[in-house]
Amino acid sequence: MKKFLVICIVSLAMPFLSSPNLAKATTVEEEDIDLQVRDIAKTLRCTICQNESIWESQAELAHQMRDLIKAKLLQGETPQQIRAYFLSRYGDYILLMPRKTGLNWLLWAGPFVLLGGGGIFLYITISRWVAQAQAAKKDPPAPIDDRVRKRIEAEFHSRED
Amino acid sequence: MRSWHLILVLAVVGLLTLFYKGLWGDPRSIPTVLIGTEAPIFSGPEVRTGETISLNKFQGKVVLINFWASWCLECRTEHENLLALNRHFSQNPDFVMLGINYQDQVEDARKYLQENGSNFDHIRDLKGAISIDYGVYGVPETFVIDRKGIIRYKSIGPIVGPNYVHITDDILQPLLEGKPVSRS
Repeated sequence: MKKFLVICIVSLAMPFLSSPNLAKATTVEEEDIDLQVRDIAKTLRCTICQNESIWESQAELAHQMRDLIKAKLLQGETPQQIRAYFLSRYGDYILLMPRKTGLNWLLWAGPFVLLGGGGIFLYITISRWVAQAQAAKKDPPAPIDDRVRKRIEAEFHSRED
Repeated sequence: MRSWHLILVLAVVGLLTLFYKGLWGDPRSIPTVLIGTEAPIFSGPEVRTGETISLNKFQGKVVLINFWASWCLECRTEHENLLALNRHFSQNPDFVMLGINYQDQVEDARKYLQENGSNFDHIRDLKGAISIDYGVYGVPETFVIDRKGIIRYKSIGPIVGPNYVHITDDILQPLLEGKPVSRS
């Protein structure tokens, strides 16, 4: 009797189980997981490549890391948990974008500080040049003494000859 | 030159050095974050027999784990030393050595072991999960786990020359005697 009931239930459920809606739902879910894998993989560095994420890398290790991310997502782990896992195994190096902590702040703020510092340096230097040029325009040139004037005239005449 | 000019120049040079090191430095030289942490438990089939081996089986022992591959030239240079190391400590019942076969074909791995010999078990890392769990960058890499299951040492590159002496005298011997080892 039990067997008969099970067969009946399975037979009734079959059209629903194989319905296009269910297949569509599964595909959407898979696509969602794949998108999450891509988002996480793009933030993790391929440890055997030079400046390539594990999403872009064709290395075997990168492949395995992507598979591991997918497996962890399917197990219900969050992207934060997965990133934390890789961080706990490889340290900061695994993150393509350094964390904003400790000495890493130097990397984040350094370029902006240098850019600002360089800008201020340029502004001060150029302002000084402009001020010097303007001051030179205002002040009349120092008078030439007779000795210098005579020498200039002599040299001028000697060239004419 | 004014003092702030000097500071600016030093800042530029410092930052460029950091970027240069970050771009061209060898990631394998970065100190591992795993020293002092609990060793990840793993299990897998033995390369030659297919029998499942788990790290759990060796609780309470000092375990040396060596990641290797048949295609790895540096692994060949250390192979004789690994055999010698196992012979040296094999009398001690608290010592275990395990090889982890990394990104390899099982036929190649078996052939490698047949040609070069082996006196300890080797586990296949089927999906790279063991290597990722141990933060492995490449092969050969060697880890030493103490009796409490804590990773105490990691060596990158072949166990040859001073590295062999260091791992036997400064790491394995003290750990087997229950003494602390310096952080590596």
